[in-house]
Amino acid sequence: MSTELIKVTINGRDFQVAKGARLIDVCRENQFDIPSFCYYADLALQASCRMCLVRIEKMPKLQTSCTIICTDGMIVTTQSEEIEKAQRSMLEFLLANHPLDCPVCDRGGECELQELTFDWGNLEERFIERKNAKAEKYLSPMVANDPQRCILCKRCTRVCDEWMGEEAIEAGNRGANTVIGTFGGWLNCSQCGNCIEVCPTGTLLDGTYRHQHRPWELTQTISTCTYCSDGCQMSLGSRGGDLVRIVARDRYVNGHNGEFLCVKGRFGHPFVNHEKRIRTPLIRYQKGGRLIPATWDEAIRFTAERLDKVVAENGQNSLGVIGSARLTNESLYVLRKFATEVVETENYAVDDASSLKPFFENLGGELSTHRDIRYAKTIVLIGGEPEELQPLTGKQIRQAVRNGGANLIIFNSVPIRIREQASQFIHIRPGTEDAAVLSLANADNDALAAKKMGIDARDLETARTAINQTQGDVTIMFGSELSAAAQAIVAQFPYLFAAEGRRVLLHPLPLFNNSVGAHDMAQGKARSAIDLLAGAGQSIRAMYVAGSLLPAHLQEHPDALAKFDLLVVQELFETDTTEFADVVLPAASFAEVDGTFTNSGGLVQRVRKSIEPVHQSLADWIITARLAKELGVDFGFERSSSAVFREIADRIPAYAGLRYPLLKDESNPVQVKHAIAAQRDVSNEMNAIHGSVEALPDEGEKSQVTPSVGHELFKPGTLMSKTPQIHLLAAGNPVPESFAISPLYQITIDDNLKRDPAVA
Amino acid sequence: MGEVLVKIQPPDHPVHMPEPAAFSAEVESEIDRHLAKYPVKRSAILPLMFIVQRERGYLDPPGVQYLANRLQLRVTDIWEVATFYSMIQTKPVGKYHIQVCKTLSCKLLGADKITKYCSDKLGIKVGETTGDGRFSLSEVECLGSCGTAPMFQLNFDYHENLTTEKVDRALDSLP
Amino acid sequence: MFIGAIGCEPLQLRRVNLEHSRSLDVYRRNGGYEAIKKVLDSMSPDDVINEVKKSALRGRGGAGFPTGMKWSFVPKDSPKEKYVVCNADESEPGTFKDRYLMERDPHMLIEGMLIAAYALGAKRNYIYTRGEYKYLIDIMDVALDEARAAGLLGEKILGSNFACEIYTHTGAGAYICGEETALLSSLEGFRGHPRMKPPFPAISGLYASPTVVNNVETLTAVPDIIKMGGEAYQKLGTEKSGGTKLWSVSGHVNRPGVYELPMGYDDMEKFIMEDCGGIANGKQLKAVIPGGSSVYIMRADQIIGKDVRMDYEGLVTGGSMVGSGGFIVMDETVDVFESTKNLTEFYKHESCGWCTPCREGTDWLVKIFKRIEGGGGRPEDAQLLLDLCDNIEGKSFCPLGDAAAWPIQSAVKRFPEDFEKHLSGNGRPQN
Ligand SMILES: Cc1cc2nc3c(=O)[nH]c(=O)nc-3n(C[C@H](O)[C@H](O)[C@H](O)COP(=O)(O)O)c2cc1C
Ligand code: SF4
Ligand code: FES
Repeated sequence: MSTELIKVTINGRDFQVAKGARLIDVCRENQFDIPSFCYYADLALQASCRMCLVRIEKMPKLQTSCTIICTDGMIVTTQSEEIEKAQRSMLEFLLANHPLDCPVCDRGGECELQELTFDWGNLEERFIERKNAKAEKYLSPMVANDPQRCILCKRCTRVCDEWMGEEAIEAGNRGANTVIGTFGGWLNCSQCGNCIEVCPTGTLLDGTYRHQHRPWELTQTISTCTYCSDGCQMSLGSRGGDLVRIVARDRYVNGHNGEFLCVKGRFGHPFVNHEKRIRTPLIRYQKGGRLIPATWDEAIRFTAERLDKVVAENGQNSLGVIGSARLTNESLYVLRKFATEVVETENYAVDDASSLKPFFENLGGELSTHRDIRYAKTIVLIGGEPEELQPLTGKQIRQAVRNGGANLIIFNSVPIRIREQASQFIHIRPGTEDAAVLSLANADNDALAAKKMGIDARDLETARTAINQTQGDVTIMFGSELSAAAQAIVAQFPYLFAAEGRRVLLHPLPLFNNSVGAHDMAQGKARSAIDLLAGAGQSIRAMYVAGSLLPAHLQEHPDALAKFDLLVVQELFETDTTEFADVVLPAASFAEVDGTFTNSGGLVQRVRKSIEPVHQSLADWIITARLAKELGVDFGFERSSSAVFREIADRIPAYAGLRYPLLKDESNPVQVKHAIAAQRDVSNEMNAIHGSVEALPDEGEKSQVTPSVGHELFKPGTLMSKTPQIHLLAAGNPVPESFAISPLYQITIDDNLKRDPAVA
Repeated sequence: MGEVLVKIQPPDHPVHMPEPAAFSAEVESEIDRHLAKYPVKRSAILPLMFIVQRERGYLDPPGVQYLANRLQLRVTDIWEVATFYSMIQTKPVGKYHIQVCKTLSCKLLGADKITKYCSDKLGIKVGETTGDGRFSLSEVECLGSCGTAPMFQLNFDYHENLTTEKVDRALDSLP
Repeated sequence: MFIGAIGCEPLQLRRVNLEHSRSLDVYRRNGGYEAIKKVLDSMSPDDVINEVKKSALRGRGGAGFPTGMKWSFVPKDSPKEKYVVCNADESEPGTFKDRYLMERDPHMLIEGMLIAAYALGAKRNYIYTRGEYKYLIDIMDVALDEARAAGLLGEKILGSNFACEIYTHTGAGAYICGEETALLSSLEGFRGHPRMKPPFPAISGLYASPTVVNNVETLTAVPDIIKMGGEAYQKLGTEKSGGTKLWSVSGHVNRPGVYELPMGYDDMEKFIMEDCGGIANGKQLKAVIPGGSSVYIMRADQIIGKDVRMDYEGLVTGGSMVGSGGFIVMDETVDVFESTKNLTEFYKHESCGWCTPCREGTDWLVKIFKRIEGGGGRPEDAQLLLDLCDNIEGKSFCPLGDAAAWPIQSAVKRFPEDFEKHLSGNGRPQN
């Protein structure tokens, strides 16, 4: 939008507005209420609900303000008898075939149709005919559908087409018979549920929550998602100590993800109140014996004594401490403090899929937030598959391309789905991502890199030119395929590509919700979790694990866990890691604690307690602090996570000056200030990857198949597997052969299904 | 979690779309000719639907899958378009589809009588198909034969200035 | 059925009654393809547009927009492809003129499109024909093949540097696809929903490229305009609407058919009573819908003795509109309540479902008509019908909403007696 100002008169008052501004936005910004259903930020204009009518002088009819771009001298009326009649009549039309039984509708209480009817509607009903009947049904395990309530604003189809790029749901039939649906009536998609979120009425509903609670009975808590590094803001709905629903927006929340969530964020919460949660501390008094419930005092004392013993016998460094990148900053900070200040071991590690250390040590520019991605002019994606692993990032890329006209350049060995949006998709051989970095860093390597990647060297020149001609922001993203050396080089790219009028921002694509925070909390003191496992039973005799170890890491040292003299694990569930534990301490989930996560864009965002910790569980950092106290060091945090955060802010420069109150407004998130490294000579790293790239074979197959939607999202991990529906999705979202829907009951999976190896 | 009363049937055979329909080389080349007319494949969706419909009676699931593959669209894209247009059949229809125009000019000149006559003659109501699958009877909106009303369209053929005798002649002479 | 000219020499209908009128041979022997030759030999694209402007030709699809002006909106310097699309969707109740033009004189349409394509710099052009007119698509395909074989399509047309292709395209049963933007959505392979204007098709139409959509009758007028010159063509009609116009006449007249009349023909009474042979079966005239179903219905006394002139301005003065020129004549036996119900059902069936007032409004209106018909009418229903129409009119996304409202508004106001007799029922809804 240009900065030139023009004059618009609304209801007799003059306003200076930016040229190119949309009338409906201008009116709303100036407190002239305009009702609408179909107009929706960032979605294609639809202008079909006809609610937003205004009168514009010199135009013959009422005009839809959503379609009008302000022009200089425009004279607008938003309120008059004529306009009110029109708005009243649109609502009357919308309600004509709409059931008037709000009390039994799941959306009652948070329904836009209901609200606008109160504000703008006609209270007298003139429609006395019979309403068109359309049967209720389920569109998928997650999405329930009551077509009779549909007002055809088509937010759902647009969200699906434009945000998700899935085009799974569309409008069928014509005229008054129009319905929203799919071929065959079953929704095959990533089940993000954003169609449910944006639906203004009770047409598309959360099938896992339906008919159990009324929205006003829920306590809403704004928090941050616990699944991936996008750090979506969400509203946790709880009732009576149970977390019963998650939505992106309950009209108070509007975080950096807007109303967007993915299947995990929205539907992945049943683990919180799951019956398999560990209920009490457990102690295995004898190797090979059973885990036996114990009190907290007993468990802490037992652990402290055994730890003391190991350290006394073998020295401090015989203790290993590993934290999970899923924990809050507070828990990870206290854990690291415990390792380095209480037992003073060097063996502290964060278990993450790949380390961000080389990246942050060389960081030559700012991190790109998701909002930056949305407005970037060029996006370079090396490896990774954001749509499956960091869905919000995927959505923002689509938005940047669709609505911002961004240039998207992708290097990937798989024709991932988002390549549809790419201006340049460079299809490389698997394992040659470093070669892409090599050539971007120095054009002299184009020939070599192209040969190894199996592409035309001219493509590299095209990509480089596109970056170098960008006016505006360039965001460079990379997946975990890059080697440490390549990450270091990418981190220095801002020095290479930035120019007048061009910022170069960086965006790593780590896997976990707090990968960046875990890196920050470690303050460069983390070793690799695999290395610690390698020392099991030798240099390392005791291990204290907060969270579980990644299955992939465990597989590298399959019998490591059995070799420790002492294994202490804090967990929500019994996992492969707890199988050999001597002590298992029940930890509280993200929904039960206060704290912060730092996302891939460096935004530090609040995690808020929605329900009290279930059973006897405690926040991870509290457990660690109790253990420290038992060992004689009192951290003095007095059960207050904000005190922990204050110490983080005091001790970790990137977090300097931050306090919880400063993080209050999720719509205005705070980016931590990672230190920007000076420009440096990366020739060592260049030589290293030059060597490794040269060693790559000159031949190799490329995958030609676009992976199906959900191939990563639907993997039932420890947490997601507690959502029954995910098993159906993992089994290919089979269409139910037959089932009747009785509104009072949920779809639940037949238990046989989970056990049947044929479908698992 | 609510009580478990309704269960999704276990997927003992995952329901996938059927194999796409296959057509003769002749039909394929007809389809190619249509595709060649447009710079964008999707534009050929209606002409191709008519061909699938002609070959298979209606847009059956294999036909839909064929269209999706041929046009590089999703089956739901086919569905949304197919259900918009009243000439595209998504359910089986009779071999002979009688479509009586019911709009004003025809109505003024006796469309109702023609419909009733056909209905009595075939023993079916509007919207139905005879048991042997030979005839379907529909009422449709203006077909551009107002000057030669009343009329019906029998598959693609116009039969105009209809009288009951003409209806008999038209229907009785069908193979 | 009659097909011919009254009150002027046949122009567009010059060849329709000749034997083998649809063959290239007959077309050429009767002045065919002379206009395109003239254009290619001696006229620039701007000359062509100017000639069409001078002719005062107004679009015959229903809206009556000046054709020359529409053509001049296409940006000359746009690097995008340009398209001419012929609107042969003819689905307006009571309208069947395009059908006979294509059936009997397909080459005239091809020549008209060639000239338009030349004027606008379009290379690929489409004739969007309603799916029900399959036989016309076949006829057009044959004619296009003939033209192609004769070097009138393809590269180097008639030895010039002009290259152009024309293809047929089929609709599949949707009245709304006659609306030009819905037609373009449909031609792109989508549901036939209208699109937002602006941008107008002339700027961003088919595949987001500059596109001109014209009715069959509009395009077939072009060759004669070129041959006789714009001014001469204009003089056949009135100052503001040049040339001749085709009227499709149906209903209770003795001689239904397609009539070519000079624009500004006066008067309507004579036209019905004499030219069309008067009312069938010796009955009295009751009502006329003069411009396809989407215009105001006229009472006999608005016509008899009123000298209604048959052109755009004359019909507005007379209380209706030219629309598509579909003339539906009703005799004294007709119940206007029922005829209006019939048309309302048409609009409900054809509403595309995009926007609220039209989708829900037409559905509701039909329900009210059915209730009244079934004995559930209440005195206040006349007012309710008017109010609902008022709520649709001017508020829908495309003009179909207006088109559904106007017939009802005019019928309730002009034939209150036909409504009143139904409105003393029990007020109970029908199932
Ligand atoms: C609901 C609706 C239906 C229409 N149907 C037709 C039609 O069947 N044929 C036609 O030529 N124009 C039809 N039109 C008019 C077109 O939108 C458009 O104005 C016309 O094709 C332009 O051509 P012209 O300038 O040659 O008249 C329709 C318009 C509306 C709003
Ligand atoms: S008025 Fe609205 S619903 Fe009706 S045809 Fe036009 S866009 Fe579709
Ligand atoms: S918001 Fe403008 S028409 Fe719906």
